Amino acid sequence: MISVKNIYKNFENVSVLRGVSCEIEKGERVVIIGPSGSGKSTLLRCMNLLEEPTYGEVWLDGKLVTDPDPYLHPDAIRASKTYASLIADGLTDDEAIKKIKKEDLLQKREGKQMKAVLDKIVAEHHLDINIARRKMGMVFQQFNLFNNLTVMENLTLAPVHLGLKTKEEAIETATALLHRIGLYDKKDEYPSRLSGGQKQRIAIIRALAMNPDAILFDEPTSALDPEMVGEVLDLIRELANEGMTMVIVTHEMGFAHEVGTRILFVDEGHIKEEAPPDEFFKNPKDVRLKEFLSKVL
Amino acid sequence: MKFFNDIIACFTNGKYLAAMLDGLWLTFIISLGAALVGLVLGTLVALVGLSKSKHPLMMIPRAICNVYVTVVRGTPMALQLFIMAFVIFAIRGFPQWVTAIIAFGINSGAYIAENIRAGILSVDIGQTEAGRALGLTSGTTMLKIVIPQAIKNVIPSIGNEIIALIKETSIVSMIGMYDLTAAAKDVGSGQNLASYIAPMTVAAVFYLIIVYALTFVVKKIERRLRSGDKR
Ligand SMILES: Nc1ncnc2c1ncn2[C@@H]1O[C@H](COP(=O)(O)OP(=O)(O)OP(=O)(O)O)[C@@H](O)[C@H]1O
Ligand SMILES: [Mg+2]
Repeated sequence: MISVKNIYKNFENVSVLRGVSCEIEKGERVVIIGPSGSGKSTLLRCMNLLEEPTYGEVWLDGKLVTDPDPYLHPDAIRASKTYASLIADGLTDDEAIKKIKKEDLLQKREGKQMKAVLDKIVAEHHLDINIARRKMGMVFQQFNLFNNLTVMENLTLAPVHLGLKTKEEAIETATALLHRIGLYDKKDEYPSRLSGGQKQRIAIIRALAMNPDAILFDEPTSALDPEMVGEVLDLIRELANEGMTMVIVTHEMGFAHEVGTRILFVDEGHIKEEAPPDEFFKNPKDVRLKEFLSKVL
Repeated sequence: MKFFNDIIACFTNGKYLAAMLDGLWLTFIISLGAALVGLVLGTLVALVGLSKSKHPLMMIPRAICNVYVTVVRGTPMALQLFIMAFVIFAIRGFPQWVTAIIAFGINSGAYIAENIRAGILSVDIGQTEAGRALGLTSGTTMLKIVIPQAIKNVIPSIGNEIIALIKETSIVSMIGMYDLTAAAKDVGSGQNLASYIAPMTVAAVFYLIIVYALTFVVKKIERRLRSGDKR
């Protein structure tokens, strides 16, 4: 469903992601763990393009949401001027493509032909990011409820404004969701009057109100007081049981083991290990992962 | 006692009163016009300056806005006014009050733009990210989420900017316009009262009243906005 293809992300001169690929299938609950600063949030934020990958592509349901990356399309490379000059120098097709990829030789201006190939890919597969984001909810560490809006307005703004629901329908959905988490009496409060746990649960149903196909969670409990962690994890667990597709970045190892269907270990900008939870925690193979688990478990 | 008699004369002598009121009216018109121009221009320049679009069609206006703010903030107001009056609008019959409104509007626009920019940047980036993550466009997110929160931060500083503007309009007398300050000077001159102190005092009180009233209104708006979200 979400397909991340060979993503690199540089901030100024720091390279945070260095060639990450992963597939998230419908119904999966993929948990991402790793040391602080390893690029977990960056990877998650690349999935809905809150960060734009420097290289690589993100696909959602077979549709391309990033710009096409010429390095991922041999046809595009073959249409480039650089390729033509390497071939003229006597390299074989295989050698030329390898060299261009390895040494990052493609330039901004590679001529009309390469642009034509890329334009064709866009024409066939492109999906506007604002449409894609409706299908991928996101829950932030800092909740990020809209401070100028009441709880009810937080829940209805996007569905109504984007024309997905009428105002009445949106209020109906929001009302049901608020009842479900037991916070209907807070519908007219502003976020500043809620506890952290309440804010985060409302942030989660704000994502749900869009009827997304998947939800991305970035450390949803890290900013909470310990006594509020449980209520938020319970809600996420409930969604998991209902079969919601999720990608969760977390430091809660027990929760990862319990809820995840697959665990990814991100370290130094790479996915160093990936396995179902039992195998991942009982039989880790990567040295850095063993080290990491011995510290956090 | 001459001082009190002069003060009374400022309000009872038809010629003096008319002069002071004419001056007050011009000061008011220039301030109001320039404030409106400044607000519109400032908002526009702030939004263009904050847009992150890499499209070449956005790069050019962004560069222009940068130059505009730098030049206006880096040169004296009096010089800007002279350039408008004696160079750009040095057209026979062109109404001076329009020149003044444009000159002061352009000037305060640059300062207001900086205030608005700072106010928008002071809104947590997480608010924007949450809006975008729901699929809202950057424009909608700005309009529905960021700007309403920025306004609260910006109203007081824009109020100060407009107060500074009102006081600064007194330099229009330098291009021969008859504003409140010029009127006070005229009423106090040799062929009239032959003493500046009374008309200057009256002018000062007029300025103070305007500034005080404006401060009051700004405080009112601020309180209204703050109670609006019950915080
Ligand atoms: N906008 C940015 N500009 C510059 N550097 C950034 C930016 N965002 C992240 N980084 C850097 O990228 C690296 C990875 O950040 P990221 O937030 O993805 O890590 P993380 O694995 O989520 O860490 P944590 O567990 O602390 O949340 C860090 O070194 C961080 O300083
Ligand atoms: Mg993080």
